[in-house]
Amino acid sequence: MLDVRLITAITVGKLIALLIGFLGKTSATAAPGLFALKIDPKLVKKLSKQIQFGSIIISGTNGKTTTARLISTILSQRYKIVHNRAGSNLLRGIASTLTSQSSLLGILKSNLAIWEVDEATLPEAINNTSPKIIVLLNLFRDQLDRYGEVDTIRTKWQKSLSKLPKSSTLILNADDPGISFLTKSFKGKAIFFGISDKQINLPKTANVADIRHCLNCQSNLKYTAILSAHMGHYSCPNCTFKRPNPNIAASNLIFNSDFSTTANLTIDYSLLTIHYSLPGLYNVYNVLAAFAVAKALKTDLSIPKKAVHEFSAAFGRFQKIKINDKNIIIFLIKNPAGANEVIRIIGQKDKLNLLLILNDNIADGRDVSWIWDTDWELLSSKAKKVQISGTRAWDLATRLKYAGYKLGKNDIYREIYYSIKQALKKLDKKDTLLVLPTYTAMLEVQKSLNKMGVETQWQNQ
Amino acid sequence: MAKPISLNICHLYPDLMDTYGDKGNIIALIKRCQWRKINVKITNISIGQSLSTFDFDFYFFGGGQDRQQIIVSRDLQSKAYYLKKAIESKSVLLSICGGYQLLQKYFKTLDGKIIKGIGLFNAYTIGSRDRMIQNLLIKINNNIKNQIFNSYPTSDIRYPISELIGFENHSGKTYLGQTVQPLGKVIIGAGNNGEDQTEGAVYKNAFGCYLHGSLLPKNPHFADFLILKALERRYGKVKLESLDDNLEWQAHQAAIERTRSSP
Repeated sequence: MLDVRLITAITVGKLIALLIGFLGKTSATAAPGLFALKIDPKLVKKLSKQIQFGSIIISGTNGKTTTARLISTILSQRYKIVHNRAGSNLLRGIASTLTSQSSLLGILKSNLAIWEVDEATLPEAINNTSPKIIVLLNLFRDQLDRYGEVDTIRTKWQKSLSKLPKSSTLILNADDPGISFLTKSFKGKAIFFGISDKQINLPKTANVADIRHCLNCQSNLKYTAILSAHMGHYSCPNCTFKRPNPNIAASNLIFNSDFSTTANLTIDYSLLTIHYSLPGLYNVYNVLAAFAVAKALKTDLSIPKKAVHEFSAAFGRFQKIKINDKNIIIFLIKNPAGANEVIRIIGQKDKLNLLLILNDNIADGRDVSWIWDTDWELLSSKAKKVQISGTRAWDLATRLKYAGYKLGKNDIYREIYYSIKQALKKLDKKDTLLVLPTYTAMLEVQKSLNKMGVETQWQNQ
Repeated sequence: MAKPISLNICHLYPDLMDTYGDKGNIIALIKRCQWRKINVKITNISIGQSLSTFDFDFYFFGGGQDRQQIIVSRDLQSKAYYLKKAIESKSVLLSICGGYQLLQKYFKTLDGKIIKGIGLFNAYTIGSRDRMIQNLLIKINNNIKNQIFNSYPTSDIRYPISELIGFENHSGKTYLGQTVQPLGKVIIGAGNNGEDQTEGAVYKNAFGCYLHGSLLPKNPHFADFLILKALERRYGKVKLESLDDNLEWQAHQAAIERTRSSP
């Protein structure tokens, strides 16, 4: 029998997508799904059931976009993939993607789904997609104005994971105690990934750990290695909680000066060396998570090795752009833990040309207090030129003043387009402008660069 | 040449009560003293460490998550006597959100559990289902405002020293007892409870509020007022050197404008 409700929902979703296309609003990726779900709230559930090899969900505070793309690249040879690449990672984004990929009668051609999912949406997404594999990368304070507290999110995750059947697989970051803890009351199989090195070759930032105590018994966790924030090698002196032995481990990390990375991977008993053009610690975890998915699906390891080697990042997550004879690299910043890792990456160099952009729209988080938890001090002696922009440019300028930067009157402009032009004008030839925008600022950067005639390949991704 | 003066600051539970960028307040205190050649010493005091052997001019107590707050509540009881004694001897204290709540009589959570405070402020907090998460703009109470007017060392009258701007993020609703003064009146936001337009509490030189942001960097008039109060305890009448606060006031104004146009 035909499911009239579903068909109506899909039709309306497709019509809205078409309309948005006519209006040229490429960023409105959530609207078709939003309306389709209003007509058929079970749309995601119904369409997910058709997907032969099931769904893979990726969530966490930092790295989910890059990880989802890595996984998609690795698996695209073997599977027909449906993936919410266009950005919206709420349930409506999943619905939008499914609506656009299905036929009018509600038939999907894909046989595997990859969903990047917002932290707060995870329980709802699990409910609707019945995933076979869930990848959880890390959990940090991020947009507390939207979510309340990190602890609250973890509790909701745990409750949701405990309802999953035995056949499901969790892929977890062993180095984040708030993530590895999630196996408690989970019935399925867990695969852990982690970094074996006790020290890494990046400048140190002040610690912004969200977890210092055992989540079982409240004792102080003991660390033999701290890699970033509360991620590292930990154990509880009082109970049995400790970092699980990773099934997939990275060691001998080398962060190269061209922002590429080399590492050794140990997967079960095999060892391989990988090299890829992504910087910093988080991308090591992203790559490990992607390998873990490949392993869980019994993919030959030569495939992820090659895919990772050839991978280039999503817009804003370390994106290199050339404009005339000047270079730009964009690093998205959105929370203290993530921003600190960006600071560590660019802190490997000196004489930096920086354009820092702080917006406080809803998608950025209305609360800008996180800039005070971010270790800007680390770059104060390495900055050659600094420009500041965004709706809360003056907050950030004040933060930098208190971190010891020397700022001039002409270094701070609220308007982003103008700021980019100024920053590029002031940039010496052969220098690189490092742009650190928050989320909506990043979208404005994209628009500004388009205006300046830069063709951006990520437009329709 | 005058003898250098110094400010002795205690940061309470910095390892547990450190969410929402409250560290920025400590950074602001340090820098604003250092720029004036006032020595600053920060001592971190956390679980199991005694306050009895110290004589601090300034205490800072920031916000934390609920789980941390319970751990701190237990430990704080052993520090209550010394903390209250310090406030009676004119020490300055700034507490924000979770810290502010723990200095009240108690916090009653949604499920009826009582988290004990120390009753420095005659107030209590009740858990609620709404999270009050937004920019918070308040008008400082007249008494404090007048003191700020007389203490903030600037000749520039453009600066609107009668307001404080920050960001609130709490679900507990605080109700003040009859004898306690609010820090100010809510202009935009919820403040103590979203009902009576009060925000924060003042007892002697102890201040409590829901203003994250961080508060002190973009409210330099309040930062200097607290520094001055803390110095006067040891040095009597003190005059602070004026600083170039142009950037801080721009941040203050821009935040207020954002709050007014899209709260």
